[in-house]
Order: sequence, then structure tokens, then C-alpha cells
Amino acid sequence: MYGENGGLIRAELSALLRQHRIQQRIGGDGIYTVPATTSAEERQWIGEQIRRYRQGVLVWCHQATVAAAPATASNLSRTPVNPFRAADTRHGALTALGRAVEQAVDASTATLATLDELAMPHDLPLVEHWRHAARAAALGEHDFDAGLGYGRLDAQQSQTLIADIAAVVQALVVLDQRYSNIPGWEKLHRPERLGWSALACALDARLDPPDYAIDMRGWRPPTKVVKGPGKPGLHGVLQAEHNLVIRMRSFPSAMNLRLVVDSQRLLSGQLASLVSKVEPALHDAWTVREGTYVDLQHELRNVGGRIGTGGLAASEGANAVSRLRAIRSDDGLDPRLLHGFTTLFTALDDRIADVLEEGIKRNCYFVRVQLLPVENPSGDLVAPSRERYLPLGEVEHTSIVRLARDRLRPIPTRDQAPAQAARSRAELHAAIVHQPDRRPAWPTLSM
Amino acid sequence: MLLAHAVTLTEARSYLAALADHARTVEASSAYERALLELDWIHGDDVPALDTYGLTDDRDILMAVATSAIEQLAAYDVDALQIELLLAALDDARALDEP
Repeated sequence: MYGENGGLIRAELSALLRQHRIQQRIGGDGIYTVPATTSAEERQWIGEQIRRYRQGVLVWCHQATVAAAPATASNLSRTPVNPFRAADTRHGALTALGRAVEQAVDASTATLATLDELAMPHDLPLVEHWRHAARAAALGEHDFDAGLGYGRLDAQQSQTLIADIAAVVQALVVLDQRYSNIPGWEKLHRPERLGWSALACALDARLDPPDYAIDMRGWRPPTKVVKGPGKPGLHGVLQAEHNLVIRMRSFPSAMNLRLVVDSQRLLSGQLASLVSKVEPALHDAWTVREGTYVDLQHELRNVGGRIGTGGLAASEGANAVSRLRAIRSDDGLDPRLLHGFTTLFTALDDRIADVLEEGIKRNCYFVRVQLLPVENPSGDLVAPSRERYLPLGEVEHTSIVRLARDRLRPIPTRDQAPAQAARSRAELHAAIVHQPDRRPAWPTLSM
Repeated sequence: MLLAHAVTLTEARSYLAALADHARTVEASSAYERALLELDWIHGDDVPALDTYGLTDDRDILMAVATSAIEQLAAYDVDALQIELLLAALDDARALDEP
């Protein structure tokens, strides 16, 4: 997730920005009471290692600018007079920052850290912070293809992403200046340009209120089937329902879809009666869901189609129903477990609505035609061949479409931002201007 | 599929659907629906549309005509074992529907 990887990058950079007197921290000589523990060659090697880690963070920044660019528009851009001409949506500050970061990446002689370097812990805490930041940057590269890039963000989320990039670049510029005394240190390419363009981006992004719901986007590990024997009690039902959601990723044939719909009808009804005293709100919601599936079942009686699979999904649905039947009503019900069903039901309803719409669009599902009388009703001398099936898209079969769109499809809700989203960013902003603690003033004679 | 076979099949499907619609309990309704699915599966999902419009809501009559229509399918080269299994599923659904 972007929130995890971005938060880790910010946390490690904040920790680094609070560390001053870098020579001492990598074993160099500092004040006279602390002897040097590393040679100049060793410190140079440490510096090269840090630059390899920094290169990973720089590449992350560059990829973030590329991902954010298509969805952002500058506040300076105007709507063109000619409606057939595209508006100039270039974001001046972001373009400048992207170019500056790209040149910094190209100009650096450091290579990206290898997998071993990212995975192996280091003795020095300072290098260890850099390693964690580089690891988070490497993991964060997945986020841009999985929910953050190519116009998937709204305007506020894009501005939040730009502000994050700007803060990370500012932090890198400050750290670059602080590390300049490390032997053999190679400074960033035109750091002042990087700093100013990052500042311009940050200022421009602050014109809109941030939307930290972006933290909930990005790559997530794929869910897998829970294998093994059925778990006891309601856990087993949840296990089967979870597996059903995963098995429904493959397109089901019409008969298997009818079996899945039948299982969901039974499951909703039985669960609703099970929780009627414990959770009245869930009882109402699941009773409504049962009614939806009853109507869907009636609609699907005259729908056929052999394309697709779905046998495993149908069997998981049957597992869920049979396991639920075995539960006694007086067993203790975990409220958290019950609300887990709501999440799975939402995902499954959404998928079934997708399947119906996809089946209509791809002509995978057909509506059966009722038998006509033997006499030729058209009055022609030669009776036309009778159609036995018609594509759902051709006939006006709007009830099933309305059912999928209005009742099965869950109401879209905005992601809630994590609680620590604003604090994580505020900590980095505070660390950028962090000053070492000053010694207390010596008492003067007047005191 | 001959026209007579299709007509008998349509009747059997329609009666099963009507039984599912008028069942007293959710479990019985679902059992009738599964019997309907089994009937469709026997025919490879190559079946005509059903129509429950105008059918009686008396479950005893519906049960009798559904059983009769399913038994008639044997005359159209439908496997006798499949028909017996379907009738057994129908009896199970009926048992769930008893008051």
C-alpha cells in the first residue's frame, strides 16, 4: 500500500534528518573525546553505499512524478475557447521537478542497491535507516501501477502525492548538503534547482486541501484460497465464503452462477435469522440481500450459457451453506467475525454484478425463448426458423440489468484515511528544518 | 429436440418454478430450485424458457403435474436413472415443504 511504503520512507528520512554530525555517526573523528573508529577508505565505502540507497529513493521520486503527471492540472491552466481543443494540462512545477529528479538520477554514478544490499542489515544505524528507506522505495514502485498511476487519482489525491514527492526531495537535498564532508561524496546534480522546484510543487499542492485516502491505494498482496479442512463453527463458513469470492474471479457458466446465487440466498437468510437478536442492523441488511438474490434467482431461470467455468465457486458456496447449517443458534457469535461477512458479501455482490454485465456485453449469457405455437403466426408461406436463444443485450431484458446495477452493486464509499497519515507527513516537514539541540547558555555574572 | 419433448420439458420446468415460488420455507424453495437446476443439467442447459403465468398456486396440484411431466420425459429418451434421481430430489424438496 502507498500509505505503508510512503510512510516508511518518510519515517526513515525523518530519523536521518534528526541526525547531525554525520562524520561521527559513520565512525569518523569528531570531538576530541570520541576517537575515530573507521578509516577514510571505510567512510568512503559507507558513503558509496548510502548513495546507492539514495539512488533508490530518487528513482521512486521520479516514478512518482511520472505517475502523477497525467492526472494533474496546474491552477494556471485555462479552459480553451475552442471546445474541440484539449486544455493545456501541464503542471509547470511538477514538470520542472520531474525533469530535475530525472537529471539527478541520470547524473549520479551510483547504481541501484542490489537485493542483497537491501536485505542484509548493516551495523551502523545511519546506514540502516537508509537501507529501510531504499527498501520502502523499492516496494513502493509497485504502487504506481496498482492504483496510483495513469489518471486513477482525483485532483486532491494527485496534489497530495505531489506534496509527498516534494517533501521527500527536499529531505534528500538537505541530507545531501549535510553529507558533503563524507570522503568521496558525490553531491546531487544541481541541488538548488531540485530544492526550488520541490518548494514550488509543495506550495502549489497546498492550494487544495489534502486527501490522505491515497494512503489506502496501491499494491496489496493477492488474497489466496484458504486450503485445508473446514474450520469449526462460523470460521468455517467464513473460510468457504472467502474461497468463493476468490473462485468467482473466473467467469462462471450460467448454471454455476445459478448455483452460487442459490447458495447466497440461503446463506443470507440463515445468517440473518442467526444474528437477529445479536446484531439487528446486520439482520436487516442480510434480509434485504436475501430478497435481492431471490429476485436474481427468478431472473436467471430463463438465462443460459455454457461459456465459463465456476464449478469450484459453486462447491464453495455449497460448503458455506452446509457448514452454516451445522452451527447451533446458541453458539457464541463473534461480532468481528460477523462483520467479516459484510466485507465478503460486498465483494461478492460487486463481482456478480460484474459477471452479469460482462456476460451481457460478451454475449456469454443468453435468454431462452418461449415456445411458439405450431401454426405459423407470421402468415408467410415459408415459416422462418425459430430462435431458441437470444443474446441478453439484444432483448430488452432490463430487469436483470437494473437488478445488477441498482441492488447488487454496492454504494461506492470513499476510503477513510489512516489515523497517522497527517502526523507522518508533519513529522517529515518538521524534521526538514530540524536543528541540533543547543547547549544551555552559560550563567552570566549578572545571574 | 422434438416439439412434444420441448413442450413437456417446458411444463416440467414451469411447474418446478411455480413450486419454488409458492414454497412455505426458504429451504424448500431452494430445494425446488435445485431440482429445476438438475432438470436443466440433464438436458445440458439446452432447454426452452419457462412461464409460470396463469398456473395454479395449489402446491398439491403443482406437485402432481410436475411429477407427471417429469415421468413423461422418459418417453423422449431421457435417462431413466436421471429421472428417478430428479423425482427423489423433488420428494426431498416436498418433505421440506411439509407443514
